Amino acid sequence: MGVTAFGAVAALALAACSSSTSTTSGGPTPATGFNAGITHVMNPSSQKGGTLNFASSSGIPDSTDPGNTYYAQMWNLSRLYAMPLMTYKSCPGKCGGQVVPMLATAPGVISDNGLTWTYHIQPNVHFEDGTLVTSSDVKYAVERTFDRGKFPLGPGYFPALLAPQKPAYPGPYKDRSKNLMGLKAVETPNPTTIVFHLAKPFADFNYVVAIPQTAPVPPNKDTGANYQLHPISTGPYMFQSYQINKQLTMVPNPHWNPATDPNAKQLPSKIVLTFNVNPNDVDNRLLAGDIQVDLPGTGVQAAARTKILTTPSLKAQSDNPVSGFSWFFGLNTRVPPLTNIHCRMAIEYAANKTNNQTAYGGPFAGGAIASTVAPPNVVGSVAASGKKFDLYEATTKPQGDLTKAKQQLQQCGQPNGFSTGITYRSDRPKEVSAAQAMQASLARVGIKLTLHGFPTATYTSNFAGVPKYVHSHDLGIIVYGWAPDWPDGYGEFYYIVHGAAISPVGNTNLEELNDPKVNSLLDKFATTTDAALRNSYTAQIDMQVMRDAAILPNVFAKALLYRSPKLTNVYVQSYYGMYNYAVLGLK
Amino acid sequence: MTAPLEAPADAAPETVLAGVGAKAIEGRSLGQIAWMRLRRDKVAIAGGIFILFLILVAIVGPHLVQDPTVYNANLIDPTLSAPRGPFGGISLAHPFGVEPVTGRDVLSRVVNGAQVSLLIAFLATALAVIIGVFMGVVAGFFGGWADAVIARSMDVFLAFPLLLFAIALVGVIPSSAFGLSGNSLRIGLLIFVIGFFAWPYMGRIIRGQTLSLREREFVDAARSLGARGPYVLFRELLPNLWGPILVYTTLLIPTNILFEAALSYLGVGIIPPTPSWGGMLSDAVNSGFYAIDPMYMIIPGLAIFLTVLAFNLFGDGLRDALDPRSAR
Repeated sequence: MGVTAFGAVAALALAACSSSTSTTSGGPTPATGFNAGITHVMNPSSQKGGTLNFASSSGIPDSTDPGNTYYAQMWNLSRLYAMPLMTYKSCPGKCGGQVVPMLATAPGVISDNGLTWTYHIQPNVHFEDGTLVTSSDVKYAVERTFDRGKFPLGPGYFPALLAPQKPAYPGPYKDRSKNLMGLKAVETPNPTTIVFHLAKPFADFNYVVAIPQTAPVPPNKDTGANYQLHPISTGPYMFQSYQINKQLTMVPNPHWNPATDPNAKQLPSKIVLTFNVNPNDVDNRLLAGDIQVDLPGTGVQAAARTKILTTPSLKAQSDNPVSGFSWFFGLNTRVPPLTNIHCRMAIEYAANKTNNQTAYGGPFAGGAIASTVAPPNVVGSVAASGKKFDLYEATTKPQGDLTKAKQQLQQCGQPNGFSTGITYRSDRPKEVSAAQAMQASLARVGIKLTLHGFPTATYTSNFAGVPKYVHSHDLGIIVYGWAPDWPDGYGEFYYIVHGAAISPVGNTNLEELNDPKVNSLLDKFATTTDAALRNSYTAQIDMQVMRDAAILPNVFAKALLYRSPKLTNVYVQSYYGMYNYAVLGLK
Repeated sequence: MTAPLEAPADAAPETVLAGVGAKAIEGRSLGQIAWMRLRRDKVAIAGGIFILFLILVAIVGPHLVQDPTVYNANLIDPTLSAPRGPFGGISLAHPFGVEPVTGRDVLSRVVNGAQVSLLIAFLATALAVIIGVFMGVVAGFFGGWADAVIARSMDVFLAFPLLLFAIALVGVIPSSAFGLSGNSLRIGLLIFVIGFFAWPYMGRIIRGQTLSLREREFVDAARSLGARGPYVLFRELLPNLWGPILVYTTLLIPTNILFEAALSYLGVGIIPPTPSWGGMLSDAVNSGFYAIDPMYMIIPGLAIFLTVLAFNLFGDGLRDALDPRSAR
């Protein structure tokens, strides 16, 4: 709200100063140039019509079913056809990380010592066929997430957080109760109220219901695994035709009411997404204006990057936002000799951070060298605060400090270095480069790395995420990347550093760190309802992880995005780290 | 053999000349005729010379060039991750330029890659030839059920989805097995996969040759004189099979070089940072740098192209020389 008010005042001031300023633009004279789309809405307009073209160099990464997806690009896209209870506010700059009501009328009301969360939903939202959305449609959507066999790809927060029942709720397809409403932890006392009962207090629950999984699904229209072919829309657009991994066409949803959905717009008369286009072809079409958006939002390829960065007129039409990912190396605290903190510190000092950055694509396509774990778009992170915390001289001596590394090796009892393995995803050229860069830079102090590449599809399920495999193969260093499901300290850190997150298969706490200090800070985080106090823990967790030398941060990822001049209302939404797909229009 | 040919040490010049004249009239052996024909085939000789040069490069080259794993970050533009300077950073110190991102010397990677690629191709070919010749001779010579079993198994091997099998196999083999680990295990595995599945090509040809040879008069003559199976096999048949064996070995090598490149390109080849030609191609394409630094792809591509071309030209020349009936 504060931001909107400020914008209006600035517009008045400008209009007063300059008679030639158009008052129809509805805002201050838009900034132009490189990175302007990060902080400003570019080409604001309410003009309707045109066909908005997306393209992607791959297929749909998981699913168009809002209940079965875990990719930022899909969460961003799904706002065109799905209305979860909460969402991220549509606005540029830091504002875009705020969680605000979408289908709900207000954030959740907490009662019962943090165990009960109550949401009221808007009474006048309709599905694309004109049926009224009720709270039981939302409950049904939540129930679907319990069937991990049918929907294995989305997050599993509801089964993990909601109060358990006996026997365990099997999901709606095996539900024998009346109207398929067998999940006891979610209640719908009336058509506009939904109540969640948690197993234990969880202060970040508003973020959980902002995942597209709470977008209502009408039980009588659910086709299970085939629902992805035509999700029943509650957003501004609905599916017209869809061939998986080929093309998706969306048209305006006649039953969408802009008054109920201020975070989305209905401007283009058609939206077409084309999949499996050659990556360089995507860039060429984007630069030529044939398509307007590169769906994955992870940045252009090397060829287009060179073209954009060396051509001032193109560079002025591009943005280089923080994507929300951090690339890092997990230093496994259970693999000898990395069990000794000094051996891990030796790696922290010896690594050549500049070469690692180059491996990820340099400062524009890779990102800024990081000295802490949480990226700057995480609320309360060290990186966002601008405070300096650089224990291992990552930014002051980016080539590495070999003297200090050798001192640490002495203290570790391995003065001549040691041997260990490094894992990476062999089908990701940047990770292959990063592993080789580490091998070359650690060799300078006698630490010998053997390279073990695995395919992405089985990386965490069979290899790097299986502690038994990691231990038996001496895999001390694990190349990994992480983007939190929601931009606060809990979302960032729980899965990658909490001792309780260590799991025998699909482990994401790759360091197998089990530091009581880190654990207790995160546990406090989960139960503290005061947002300011809660967010103050973020920096403390980060610093403790760095003191433990469990993670060697590499870069806070950035993406070089080309902002097609044909787009209106275009800006980077910080939560997604890419353009906000829900509000785009065409000139 | 023939006394008049051997000129005595104290012979007069006339007798020596007479001896030379006599030799010129004397019939040449098959090998001599083939060598003469081959020598006249300039293209094949050029291919052969290039092959010899390549083998020399693979053996001594790695000792002469720089370390292929050394980073030269100063030669890389930090913003674009691409080599500074034109044509992929070609300079006096780096005549083939440097790799994007790492700045490693491309010349030394090509030379070291030659060693890996040729080693795999040669050993895999040797394996394929040994199995192929043995199976082919057995099938062709003994016939009957041995022929039926071998011929059918060759059909099975030829119909096998080899590429998929290779990808799966490399995925499931642990990081150390059979007393090998890391790249030596990987090289052994590649040799096995490529060699073990390439033998039917050789086997079919040898089987056909053996079938036609065993009915020939000289074999019948040997048999009627009381020669037994092994004697006929090794003394009568095998010497006549050397021609096709040599030719198809030379033609199998380039196929195997390409197959190794294909496997490396698919990411199931050599483990980095050890260079191989296919791996270099794969890096150039997968990282997308080929579009801004074409030399990165052209150089390993050219290495593969020239090598395969040289082996094919030499192999064709050899076939023409040994078996003029099949020529043109």
